[in-house]
Amino acid sequence: MRKLPWYAMLLAACLAFAGCKQEVTRQQVAEFVDQADEAARKRFAPEICELRAKDFTLHQTFHAEDAREPSEMDITRKLYCQQAGNHAQLRQYLLERRSIDIDVATDRKTATVTADYVETLPYYEPDVRAATPDDFRYFQIVDSHDVSIVGLEDGDVRFLSTRTESFQKLVKKGELRVPYN
Amino acid sequence: MRPLAGPAMLLVMVGGFAIYKFMGKDPTPPRAFTELELASADTEHTGTCYALSTVLVANGVFGNAVRTWSAPDEKNDDKWTLTVESVQQAYKGPAHVFQTFTFVRSGEQIRLDSVEASEGLPTEIAANIDRLLEAPHGMKSTPVDRCQKDGATGYRFPPHK
Repeated sequence: MRKLPWYAMLLAACLAFAGCKQEVTRQQVAEFVDQADEAARKRFAPEICELRAKDFTLHQTFHAEDAREPSEMDITRKLYCQQAGNHAQLRQYLLERRSIDIDVATDRKTATVTADYVETLPYYEPDVRAATPDDFRYFQIVDSHDVSIVGLEDGDVRFLSTRTESFQKLVKKGELRVPYN
Repeated sequence: MRPLAGPAMLLVMVGGFAIYKFMGKDPTPPRAFTELELASADTEHTGTCYALSTVLVANGVFGNAVRTWSAPDEKNDDKWTLTVESVQQAYKGPAHVFQTFTFVRSGEQIRLDSVEASEGLPTEIAANIDRLLEAPHGMKSTPVDRCQKDGATGYRFPPHK
């Protein structure tokens, strides 16, 4: 009987280190996306970053309001996390999820999350130096269509990659009431 | 001895996990590499009088950018790649701006072997060396030992006022 606690400890340690979860479920992914959205609303970079796998990549296509053609970029987790840190400086930010669809792969190792979002945030013009967070003339309303692959890393659910296409609309600062949050 | 088997196993697992986490950190070149003098891009590879580390520090390695060192060949400690990247807001949307410098050790010098860069940034070696030297020249950074002697010369060294 005295050996039992050690075997129990070993088993617990094995589960903890090896990552006992091997499959993702729809509910797990839905809760994970809720958590990620909440982290984005808080603009808390460490949490936003933590929810991305170490080899996370973002492909973004961005249609600016007055641009003739969209900008495209591919960035890695490291740069994504730095951008999340910059986002923390925003004082007015709204994120609304309009739709979500979760498709768990047949092997249950990953899920494809397709979601539509609307973000409202200040638009800092590229050539204008903002001395304070309030130094902007327009809010930008960004409609995004995201397709993310979610999977397990070390037993935790993480975003493995995201492809997003965004459409920007600019609205004069005075025409919109966005609370400070 | 048998009562120790459990804790020993646990210790091995915890140690293994710690090593795994430690190994997961980004690699960086050894000081023996970065403390060597950066060579210019002229045919003689004239020394610039500044250590690679001095040049990078003087440039603040481009401010708020993200920096990533990697060794293209893990077994070769004489070749390192530094990627400096950021996202810049342009009128047509966010843009990924990057430069990837490959440095190679040659004797007691470091040579800039190649530069890859996003649109609008120079990729010529000579132009990049000149750009990299602007900061240490401007702030009169400490040169390598050989250039601290009277009459010492190097590529564009001593810098003109």
